[in-house]
Amino acid sequence: MAMLWSKISALLPLNEEQFPLQFSDKVESSVVDILKRSRRQLYSNATSNSCMLNAQIILDISWEKLNTGTWRHVDKEWRRVYSYGCLFKVAALCHEDPSRDKILQAVRTCDMGLIMGAAIMDNILQAVVRILQAEVRKSSKEDETAACAEVKRIKTESPCVLVVREELAVPRIKCPSLQSFNINYLLPLRPVILEGIIDHWPALNEHPWSIEYLRHVAGCRTVPVEVGSRYTDEEWSQTLTTVNEFIDQYVLNKSGVKGLGYLAQHQLFDQIPELKEDIRLPDYCCLGEGEEDNITVNAWFGPGGTVSPLHQDPQQNFLAQVVGRKYIRLYSPKDTDKLYPHQSQLLHNTSQVEVENPDTEKFPEFVKVQYLECVLQPGDVLFIPAQHWHYVRSLELSFSVSFWWS
Amino acid sequence: MRWFGFGFNAFGQILKVFHPKELRSYVERSGCCLKTSRISASWSRRASLHLDGECVREIATLTLCKLDLNRIGYTSCCFPGYPLNLPLVTGGYIAPKPPFYRPLSPHLTAKSLALGAKHAILLSVSGAVYTWGLGSHGQLGHGGLTSEEEPRVVEALWGMPMSCVATGGWHSVCISDGGDLYVWGWNESGQLGLPSRALCQDTASSPSEKPQDGEKHEVFISIQAFPALLDVTPSCEIRTISCGSRHTAAVTSEKSLLAVGEYGQLGHQTLISLDEPQRVEFFKEQQMCVVDVVCGAWNTFAAVAKEEVACS
Repeated sequence: MAMLWSKISALLPLNEEQFPLQFSDKVESSVVDILKRSRRQLYSNATSNSCMLNAQIILDISWEKLNTGTWRHVDKEWRRVYSYGCLFKVAALCHEDPSRDKILQAVRTCDMGLIMGAAIMDNILQAVVRILQAEVRKSSKEDETAACAEVKRIKTESPCVLVVREELAVPRIKCPSLQSFNINYLLPLRPVILEGIIDHWPALNEHPWSIEYLRHVAGCRTVPVEVGSRYTDEEWSQTLTTVNEFIDQYVLNKSGVKGLGYLAQHQLFDQIPELKEDIRLPDYCCLGEGEEDNITVNAWFGPGGTVSPLHQDPQQNFLAQVVGRKYIRLYSPKDTDKLYPHQSQLLHNTSQVEVENPDTEKFPEFVKVQYLECVLQPGDVLFIPAQHWHYVRSLELSFSVSFWWS
Repeated sequence: MRWFGFGFNAFGQILKVFHPKELRSYVERSGCCLKTSRISASWSRRASLHLDGECVREIATLTLCKLDLNRIGYTSCCFPGYPLNLPLVTGGYIAPKPPFYRPLSPHLTAKSLALGAKHAILLSVSGAVYTWGLGSHGQLGHGGLTSEEEPRVVEALWGMPMSCVATGGWHSVCISDGGDLYVWGWNESGQLGLPSRALCQDTASSPSEKPQDGEKHEVFISIQAFPALLDVTPSCEIRTISCGSRHTAAVTSEKSLLAVGEYGQLGHQTLISLDEPQRVEFFKEQQMCVVDVVCGAWNTFAAVAKEEVACS
């Protein structure tokens, strides 16, 4: 296992002098002092305990900064400091023949840096986690065969059948030309389901996304998970778990604990490049004015029953369905006042109404409003125009990929 | 007064990590030994005010420098970096953004002001508590997570005169005239003394934490948006309080020091965080009476009465 450390240290600069620690004035000198101490320890024979201690100090102080004020306003410098803390902690964990447990802790630390931090040293944490994952996979070959049985079990538990009324159905069109999509749907901001446009995705061909595949590619990786029936509920919260834990607890319900979990609105493909290789950017995004780099790609993975309450987003959305089916309802922004949006700043883009069980006394206008609905199947891509209200409920185990573009 | 410190010590602010250690008195060049009368601490520095009143020496591993501190009205002072504490002035307070001088309502006669990472709490002479600033973690005590631009009275405490207020990074505490402790804000590290989910998960491996048979669901509090009365056992009155970034310390009428929250700064000689207030046994064992407490961001300083009188 000294091999592991040699692989990781090969990613690091040759010596202390070449290890960059540049920060703006936002990061006070006392914190930079601790960072320098950690750097010194990295290249000397410091004990793993004292390295951990300094790394933890860096993580704690930057974590406090990350939790101060609104996330949008957190200075990028503090996120970089946090990433350095993660790097030093990983070094401390992997230095002396780490156990499998320590390696998993190191993977989690890299993920925290990738999720909460900002890229440092050419995104070194991404390179480190790749090495660590390879190490984890070596020792877990046996666990993967057990996974096949559990998938078969899910398939036999067939979900209910949902019928979409024809007059309310979202129109479907197969592989339209860029021009016809632009003229008929994008410019007039009309929703439509595009069929056949993701048939070439590896996620639907060479690497069909399944529970086994996801466990293999990302099982030990830490991701943010939403817990609770919907984000407007008081009981709703977010937590961080590994993909394996998420699948065990919320998809397979192994622990028998009640409650929904949803891996929602997470830029998983930035965190796990192998999954990014399985999808493609829809060509139709080029019809927008924005840069390709500014397109936000989110993963939505969870069991049947996950709900996104009726809400609107500021950008155009391609919602690509890869695994399982979702029921989706769409309302026009023209009818916003009849959808009773929350008054608060935080939730003003969300309706107060429970779409499939509306309180007709509190929200009398709601039931009169026209809508479109559909059941999105694997291979479908739903175009949700900007500001168009949408409600989503998964009918079974589901994995969708959304593209927010302008 | 003798001062003991424990907690974060990466910059030599105190001498040892979690066993309370006495702070050395400062010896002047003339050989005269000055006793410490007041302490204030930031994340990486500690300042001590010595008995001759006007000189402040900064104690740190790197440099010793002398600062003149003639302004009054500070409730706590800090060094650049973390966080910036601002004084009460006649008729108002100084804010970090323009307008820099903000008047307090003429109906408000302020007694003390405490500042957290991004919020402020003000105690009026009549015992009313006002809060404003960032509300994202419930630290304003108004029942929600919205921020307030102007001082707003904490209605839940209206009618109960408070004698002392303090703030941590994201939490607020105050003591009533009768010695009751009220807490609100973030409890992620147990700093409110209420059950914290994060701590339960950390200690889940120990057998005493196993849930009993039956439908017992423990209630965890991550954010307490309204002030809550904290039950302290054994029951006692709280005399004074201080908060660090994520911990809280209190001196009781029995001259004991209670501490709750993030690791080593609790002085309980462990690195485990606590979400239930516990007495710092060190002082009891040494038969010392704790009379005051001041928290730095990640450490705690306790003042012990000079005479080792029997503490009732």
